[in-house]
This record gives sequence, C-alpha cells and structure tokens, in this order.
Amino acid sequence: MSEALAAVAVALADDELVIGHRHSEWTGLAPHIEEDVAFSSIAQDEIGHAAALYTLAGAIVGRNPDALALGRDPSEYRNAVLCERPNGDWAYTLARHWLYDTAEDVRLEALARSADDALRALATKMRREERYHLLHAGTWLERVAQGPVEGRTRIAEALARAYRDALALFEPLEREEEAVRAGWLPDASTELRSRFAQRATGQLDRLGLPTDIGAVADEAAEFVASSSGDLLAAGPAPPEPAVASGGGGRRGRHSADFEALWEEMTRTYRVSPGATW
Amino acid sequence: MDTFEVFRRAGHKEPFTHCGAVIAPDPEMALLLAKECFLRRREGTRLWVVRRSDVHSLEDASLLELAADKSYRFASDYRDVVAKRERARRRAEALR
Amino acid sequence: MTYEEKLARFGERLESGDKVETEDWMPDDYRRGVLKFIEMHANSEIMGALPERECLPHAPTLKRKMSLAAKIQDEVGHSQLLYRVAEDLGKSREAMYTDLLHGRSKFHNVFHYPVFGWGDVAVIGWLIDGAALVTQAALLDSSYAPYTRVLKRICAEEQLHLRHGEDITLELASGTDVQRGMFQDALDRWWLPIMHFFGPRTDRGKDLLLRWRVKTRTNEDLRQEFLDRYVPKVLELGFTFPDPVPREEDGHWVVGDSDIDWAPLDRIKRNQGPETARRLELRRRIHEQHRWVREALSEPAVHAA
Repeated sequence: MSEALAAVAVALADDELVIGHRHSEWTGLAPHIEEDVAFSSIAQDEIGHAAALYTLAGAIVGRNPDALALGRDPSEYRNAVLCERPNGDWAYTLARHWLYDTAEDVRLEALARSADDALRALATKMRREERYHLLHAGTWLERVAQGPVEGRTRIAEALARAYRDALALFEPLEREEEAVRAGWLPDASTELRSRFAQRATGQLDRLGLPTDIGAVADEAAEFVASSSGDLLAAGPAPPEPAVASGGGGRRGRHSADFEALWEEMTRTYRVSPGATW
Repeated sequence: MDTFEVFRRAGHKEPFTHCGAVIAPDPEMALLLAKECFLRRREGTRLWVVRRSDVHSLEDASLLELAADKSYRFASDYRDVVAKRERARRRAEALR
Repeated sequence: MTYEEKLARFGERLESGDKVETEDWMPDDYRRGVLKFIEMHANSEIMGALPERECLPHAPTLKRKMSLAAKIQDEVGHSQLLYRVAEDLGKSREAMYTDLLHGRSKFHNVFHYPVFGWGDVAVIGWLIDGAALVTQAALLDSSYAPYTRVLKRICAEEQLHLRHGEDITLELASGTDVQRGMFQDALDRWWLPIMHFFGPRTDRGKDLLLRWRVKTRTNEDLRQEFLDRYVPKVLELGFTFPDPVPREEDGHWVVGDSDIDWAPLDRIKRNQGPETARRLELRRRIHEQHRWVREALSEPAVHAA
C-alpha cells in the first residue's frame, strides 16, 4: 500500500530533478554574473530536494536514489511537462521559476501536514529552502514588472505561456486517491490547484501584471496538438489535457523536449549502469 | 547628526573589517573622528566610513542557514581520498 | 617629485617586497599590465565555466550533478571577484565583458577546446585545476595587494575543486574498463593543452609583469612544479602520457620547451582555437538577447505597483 506514497514522492522528485536540470543549464550564461551564482544555488537546491525525495521513495521500493533518478525509461518519469520545457530566454525561465516555486510552496504547505512522518519532516525542511526561492523569484518578478516596457511585456507574455503548464503541476498524481485516503497527501491536487491559481493571480494583480492568463489557459486546453505539431481545434472536449497544453506528465506523457533532455541526462549513467562514479 | 560605521584595513593581506561607529554630522568629520577613535595606535593603514542608513541588512538571518545537505561544498566530503587512492592503485596494479 | 623619481621610488618599494594598493601612485605600464592580467584571469574563470557546463547535464549521479554545479558556480564567483578587482584599475565590467564577447581580449588556452564526456570532467577537475592552482598559488605573493586578497579565497576554493577532480578521477581509475578508458581518452586529448597552459619559457628581460613582481615565478618553473607533482600520480594509476611524454631526469619529470608543439597555442592566442568561435558566439547571442534584463536592473522602476 505504501507504494502509493512512493509513487507520490517519485513524481515530486521528478519535478525537482527536471527543473533543477533546466535551471542548471544557465550555469555560466545567466544574464548577470551575480545572478549566475545565485541561480546555480537554486538549481542545486532543487536537485538536492529530488535526491531527498528519491531516497524516501527508494526506501519503500528498494531502489537507490540514483537508479530512480537516472535509471528509468522516459515514459516512467512523472514530472509535469512545465519542468521539461526548454529554458527559452530569461523571461520564460523567470516566469516558470516563479510559478513553479509558488506552486511548490502551496504543495509543501499541505505536505507539512502529511500523516507520513518522513514526508512531513522532509516537506518542513524543504520549505525552509524554498523560502529563498520564493523571495528570489518574487523580487526579480517585481523588478522586471515595474521596470522598462520591454521587460514588462516579455515577462507578461512568458507568464501567459507558462501558466497553463503550471496548472498541470496539479494534475492528479498516480495513486493519489490512496495517498489522500491514508493522509499522506492531506489535500487533493484539485484543491491545491485552485489554491495555487488564487495565490498566483492575486500576486500578479498586486504587481500590475495581467491576470487573465487563467482564461488563456482554459481556452488553450481546448486545443490538442496534431501530428504535425500545429495546434488544431479539438472536436469534443478532450478527455484529458494534451502534452501540448501542459498536461500528461503525471501519466508519463512527455514532450519531445523531454526525450532530448533524458538522452542527455542519463547518458553517462547508461554507459555502465550500476557502476560507481 | 548621523551614525557612521567605521572600517579599517591593517596591512595588505586582510580585507577591510568593521571596527565600530562614530556619530558625526558628515563623512568628512566622521573620518577625522574615526581616525582618533579607532586607529590611534596604528591599528590600520586604510580607513572607510559608511553612513549607517546606507547599510542594508538581511532581516531574516535564518535564510543564511543551510536548510539541506550541502556537504558537497565542503572539503570534508572528500576525506576518504587516501583509501580511494589505494583502491585505484590496486586496480592499476592488477592490470599490469 | 618628478615622474622619474616617482618611478624609481615605486621600483624600490616593489624591490623591498612592499605591496601596491589601488589608490597608490603607480606607473601607467603597471596599471595597464595588472589590469590586463587580472582581466584575462577573470575572463578565463567565466569562459572556463562553459566546457564544464557542457558536461553538467550528463553527470552520472545526483551528487555529482550537484557538486559539479557547485564547482562551476565557484568559478563564476571567481570571475565576479576578479572583475571587481580589475574594475578598480579603470575599466568597467561591462567594457571587459564586451571585449571578451568580441574576441578583443584573451582567456586561457584550455577553455578553447571541446569536451566529449565524463572523462573530461576528471581531467579538467584534477589536472587542469591542479595546473591552475600551481600558477595561482604563485600569485598569492603578487605585488598588487587587492589581487592577492581575492586570490586567497580563490585558491581555497580551487583546493576543494582539486579534491573534487581527484575524487572523480579515482572512481574512474578504480572502475570498469570503459570508465578507465574515459580518463585515458581525455588525458590523451588534454595533455598537450595542459603543457601549453603554463606558456613557453619566460624571457626574463622582456617580462614586465615579472619585473614588477605581479608574477613571481617563471613559466618553466611553474610547469616543472606541476610535472613533478602530478606525473607520478597519473602513472601510479596506470595511465600513460601521449606526446610530449614526460621523461625522468635527475629526480625530475621533464618536458622541455622544444618537446612541445606550440602551433596550437599560437592559434589560440589569435582566438582561433577549436571552440573559441562557438563559445563566444553563444555568449554573445545570449548577451544580446538580454539587453532588456540589464535595462530592468539598471533603470529605476517606471511602473509602480
């Protein structure tokens, strides 16, 4: 039964690993040298959180954290699609960073009340580090939002692009019902999702940024990707949001960008699985 | 009048260090007063003053704690180097 | 005091081992020479982040992913420290960065080369950082005091990087044949660039930086220290050297100036190394795409909430 707990931990670990991986791609190239240093710490923190969550899951399923992180097939990863999107420019990175960490705070707030001792303790610890992430993302967002028009426009556009993906962070997790029933997940994802949406739009409003991104997101969910990658209007409402609109990650459906990321991320590990590095 | 924080550097090797504060009407006066308050026994070879209101502090000091395992940032994480050298040497010998 | 008198007194000061501070009088040659030297060091730290950045995505464990990220982070931090010291000599960081992007200034030869895999991380982390530490430790006694103050922290962090690099090396050396092959392959490619790293024999008469005591030791002296320290360690692990193969002479491991093919280094000095254009282009593109970030950081808020 506690395998449901492991499944939850793995999904959240996958989020942390993949977004940490993306964040770390800025290393050495961030648009400001001091920020390069600061953002690297955030990337390291996320990977560290992934390690802690994989350790928790690994203890249940009997696998070591590195094997969970790097030794699975792409379709076994349960991260939300948001985390795997390419960095794009600093505006997209910042928008995603802010949305992701706001969402994570909502989730950790709930997990800090988990009935599972280990998960509760870990969530409490992670929240301490996430406070810096939130401050960092919020301070940057405020600076750009209140600055010259080009930055303001870019960040507004990036937020609109990332928002529907961010909502899909709260797609139901695998075996979530079991985990909720056991009290491991104190709140269901749908509930966290509306809490997140409320908090995010409230803060955007305070910064004078457009808050109608929720409407854009709902509209976007009506579209699915055709095989050519173009967005086509769907006939009847699709049963579940497609990868193109940010959904599917929790069921192991990922974008082509994830395939490339996975190839690269697991490249050395796959040379000799089980070897010591 | 304002409070000015006083920094001095002794020699070439160490960075400026904080050594106290003076109350003065302006930076020029603060420097003159700080010289006698803090460097009258050759405690330093350079002197700075900074208006207290220009000093910004991180209010939430708990942000400075390491909340998670950052052992990899410290040399202590590589303490077992001698044993590892020995193991690698044995592996190399076995190949000869 | 006439200029000649000032110059003579400055020379005497340096001769006696006294150090120079930013606000002290110094000849223009000294200021320019020190600025150029520290600027190149700063450039090298930030350009040095790129080869390892290319390896970071395929780190083989979570811990290695974090520790390599932390190591590159330190290097970017070093460039931050060094650019600040250089700025005080009269050139803004923006100007230095722009010169770097447009190939108008230099960075160390080893960062002009491609990387292929995890073996490169081991060689860079152990041998190249080892070489860098030998040269940087020699600068701790440089005549320009602000430089020595930041070098103290830089050398301490480099010491950690060296441990990190050796640790990775030792795992490869103790590992499977494939893992050992990764190190050997990287060593084969990096050995010549590492020999170049120290530069050709110093011409004592012409080297102004040596005369001003900004540098304290000659290139050949530093290379010798590196060879004596690292060659036995590499051999002990059962790896072999490509050309120029170090030979044992009178208790030293020797690679003579004439054993080294200097042509690749000459190309790199003209910013024509194998990866120079691609890495500078990447940096330039990102820099140009993010003008708006610099504006957002430097201009006052126009949209108050």
